[in-house]
Amino acid sequence: MSTLSEKLQAPAEHTAKPVRPSQPVLSVREVRISDQAAGREIVHGVSFDLTPGRTVGIVGESGSGKTLTCRAALGILPAHFEVTGGSIELDGHDITGFSTAEWTSLRGSTISAVFQDPASYLNPSIRVGAQVAEVIRVKKKVRRREARRQTIELLRAVHLRDPELVYGQYTYELSGGMLQRVLIAAAIAAGPRVLIADEATTALDVTVQAEILDLLADLREQTGLALVVVSHDLAVVAQLCDEVLVLRQGEVVEQGPTHEVLHHPRHAYTRLLIAEHEQYGLDRFLAPEEDA
Amino acid sequence: MTTTQAQATPDVRRPVAAAGTRHTLGRVLATLARSIAIFVPVFLVATFVTFALRSLSGLSPARIQLGEDATPEAIARVEAQWGLDRPFLVQYGDWFNGVLHGQLGTSWTNGADISTLIGLGLGVSLSVATFALLIGVVVGFALGTVAALRRTTWIDRAITGFVTAISVMPAFVVGIVLVAVLAVQLKLFPSAGYIPAEQGLGPWLAHITLPAVALSFDVVADVARQLRSSLVAAYRENYVTGAVVRGLGPRRVFFCHVLRNGLGPALATLGLKFPSLVGASVVTEWIFGLQGFGRFANDSAQAGDVPAVQGVLVVSIVLVVVFNLFVNLVLARVTPASQRGV
Amino acid sequence: MIRRVLALPSGRIAVVVLAVIAVLAVFGPLLAPQDPLATSDNTLAAASGAHWLGTDYLGRDVLSRLLDGSRVSVLGSLEVALTALVVGVVPGILSVYLGRAFEWITLRLADTLVALPFLLFAVAVVALLGNGITQAMLVTGVLVSPLFYRVSRAATLAVARSQYVEAAIVSGASLGRVVRRHVWVKVLPPIAVALAQTVGVGFVIVSSLTFLGIGVQPPAPTWGGLLASDLGYLSHRPWAPLTPALLIVVTVWACNLLADAIRDVSGEAGRALLNNRRARANRLDKADPAPAGGAS
Repeated sequence: MSTLSEKLQAPAEHTAKPVRPSQPVLSVREVRISDQAAGREIVHGVSFDLTPGRTVGIVGESGSGKTLTCRAALGILPAHFEVTGGSIELDGHDITGFSTAEWTSLRGSTISAVFQDPASYLNPSIRVGAQVAEVIRVKKKVRRREARRQTIELLRAVHLRDPELVYGQYTYELSGGMLQRVLIAAAIAAGPRVLIADEATTALDVTVQAEILDLLADLREQTGLALVVVSHDLAVVAQLCDEVLVLRQGEVVEQGPTHEVLHHPRHAYTRLLIAEHEQYGLDRFLAPEEDA
Repeated sequence: MTTTQAQATPDVRRPVAAAGTRHTLGRVLATLARSIAIFVPVFLVATFVTFALRSLSGLSPARIQLGEDATPEAIARVEAQWGLDRPFLVQYGDWFNGVLHGQLGTSWTNGADISTLIGLGLGVSLSVATFALLIGVVVGFALGTVAALRRTTWIDRAITGFVTAISVMPAFVVGIVLVAVLAVQLKLFPSAGYIPAEQGLGPWLAHITLPAVALSFDVVADVARQLRSSLVAAYRENYVTGAVVRGLGPRRVFFCHVLRNGLGPALATLGLKFPSLVGASVVTEWIFGLQGFGRFANDSAQAGDVPAVQGVLVVSIVLVVVFNLFVNLVLARVTPASQRGV
Repeated sequence: MIRRVLALPSGRIAVVVLAVIAVLAVFGPLLAPQDPLATSDNTLAAASGAHWLGTDYLGRDVLSRLLDGSRVSVLGSLEVALTALVVGVVPGILSVYLGRAFEWITLRLADTLVALPFLLFAVAVVALLGNGITQAMLVTGVLVSPLFYRVSRAATLAVARSQYVEAAIVSGASLGRVVRRHVWVKVLPPIAVALAQTVGVGFVIVSSLTFLGIGVQPPAPTWGGLLASDLGYLSHRPWAPLTPALLIVVTVWACNLLADAIRDVSGEAGRALLNNRRARANRLDKADPAPAGGAS
């Protein structure tokens, strides 16, 4: 475990920004997102603050706008979608009007993300290790050999058995759980301060899901990473998050400390979610449709 | 902790590197085996069809040598000389055996060795075809890439328009226009003939440029179109989003992630384009007065010299097969995932 | 689908051009102002009132020869396309249903035909099997049929393995009904695209063959033949190849344009096109921060 903390703190030192716990690293204010093709608003005002070492959860059904909100924070909204109201501040900078170069320097080293279906987020034609090493090489400006050494340490840190072997493999040679670990390794390689996990455990089976959630919790404890966890599954959110937003059709219907929301839900929709969970508790076994 | 790591690293590297090499070699062999498994039946079927042409055509060396009013006995004698009185499959077996040994038989019209005759023309045709491929790849890649990077802008539309325009110009039409304008009117290039590279690189290039440009239009258009659409498709892939989110710059995302995957279909197009390049050489060599492979094919076909035509077809099939084998190997190297379970 | 193709400007242009060419093919020989075979002493004349496009090396009226030759070229390319359609689509669809042996054999045959340099092969076959543009076109049709084989096979495969067809069969729809309602709709657009393309390809091949003088008897005029005879007299009439060359290019271009138009109005590409237009209309302010994620 000492390896893990040592490795993961090194990048944080490298970026060398004073971490003030009170200062939010990600601050989302009344954000509205519209689909310009259809000419309608999809997300009607989402707000939350994220400080280092804390976790915000966003729950909601498919198409409720949770993924869009995250993509807005990453600056990767799909074609025709635009932020039409509110503001997003990343490490104290308003992201509106960011140039491509500014985004490039912030992504990876300040904010990063992992997604559902990890295989598709890694290049199928490049060995997975080389893709993690690429991030280290580019973002931390280290030599090839050193990047390779750090990558193997990083792969070990995300609990991949036999990291040397995994380094030289292609995506189609790895299982979903392993790929998600590789994707996490690539995401944290440059020592970001915010990590967005968008349905990161959805397609995995239950034991693997629990392991990945543990890994995320470990990373948060040891590096002061701030997490945004997006899921349709209340159980995932309950396990990791300090604060929860419940989204329904682009509207925040409930927002507050996880404990509060789970035990004293005020909105009917939240109660419905909790009740369904208690009643069936099976939704994690069903592979849900990917949301737009 | 640091010391142990420093010691561990060299040990770690070796097995990975070894595994990597073994992996690569295995992949190359697997690709080769798969490609050969596809091409052997292709070759067999194609040569069989080629050989069957003689029986289907009803042509005979006797007609060519003895003229129209030869006696049946004389015809039978000549045909027996050529071994044409034997059963079809025996003839095919003999001929195929010869093909495997590089023997394509002798010409009906002048009794010359066909392998030698084709060898003489091949240098000309390959010079032109290689140059055409080179132009096609360079220009096609440039146009396709720029169009994809500036997609939905006027640059994209202009390139798409240009590519559409040149894609509908058949090689022989382009050839005639080039001859008319650049050779006859402006006298910038020689209008016909060929000078081997040994007699000077300048004249050699001057003679093959126009035919190569004429042939290249089709390649440029196909490569540009295919590259544009596969690059645009690659940009929509999740792994591009992944690379962007990891903070890689646009240039790096393009060269290391998008281009690599977008390259596959364009390379495959090149493999498919090669046969039509060989085919079009028949027409361009006629226009530019080149004594190449295509001209030889045309002349032999019009003279009814069946073994020569068969020889040309076999050589063209071999060229196509070899070229595609090469393309497949490159493809396996560039996009390993695409080779799986094909 | 036809209405949607006509709704696109490119579709309208393509249809108009092809219609004009079709009229030329049908009525061309009747429209020819002079006998296309009649020679005169007025050789290699420039364009004039009597000879709108001048005369060739035997003093024949070029315009008349062009109009008269259009029928051969157009019929030839249609023959290529229809032969390829029949030879390709039938085994293409059947390969999905008739078991692995049939599938393997047809796939290898398609591989083989693709690997053959078809112009070279067409030249060889036509010269050896002899005479007549029709035989030439039938052979060429067979040689380009793998395009149809692949397109129809891919579309059929996609449909046969799709869940809604399975659902339809499970819910008791007859196979014939499934084919009519679901398969046709998916298979038809790609085949229409391939057909339009193949007509263009056929046109190039017919012109190339006639250019080489293969498959036609000498005095009969063809577009390719006109080009070939012009080539010998470039220094006298440098602009002579322009008209037949333009006619060939424009026809092939119209075929491709039609293929693109069909592709645009069917399937996913069509939807993207519509979305783009709507988005452009909706976006009032020009400020557009890096539209697609990948572009940034």
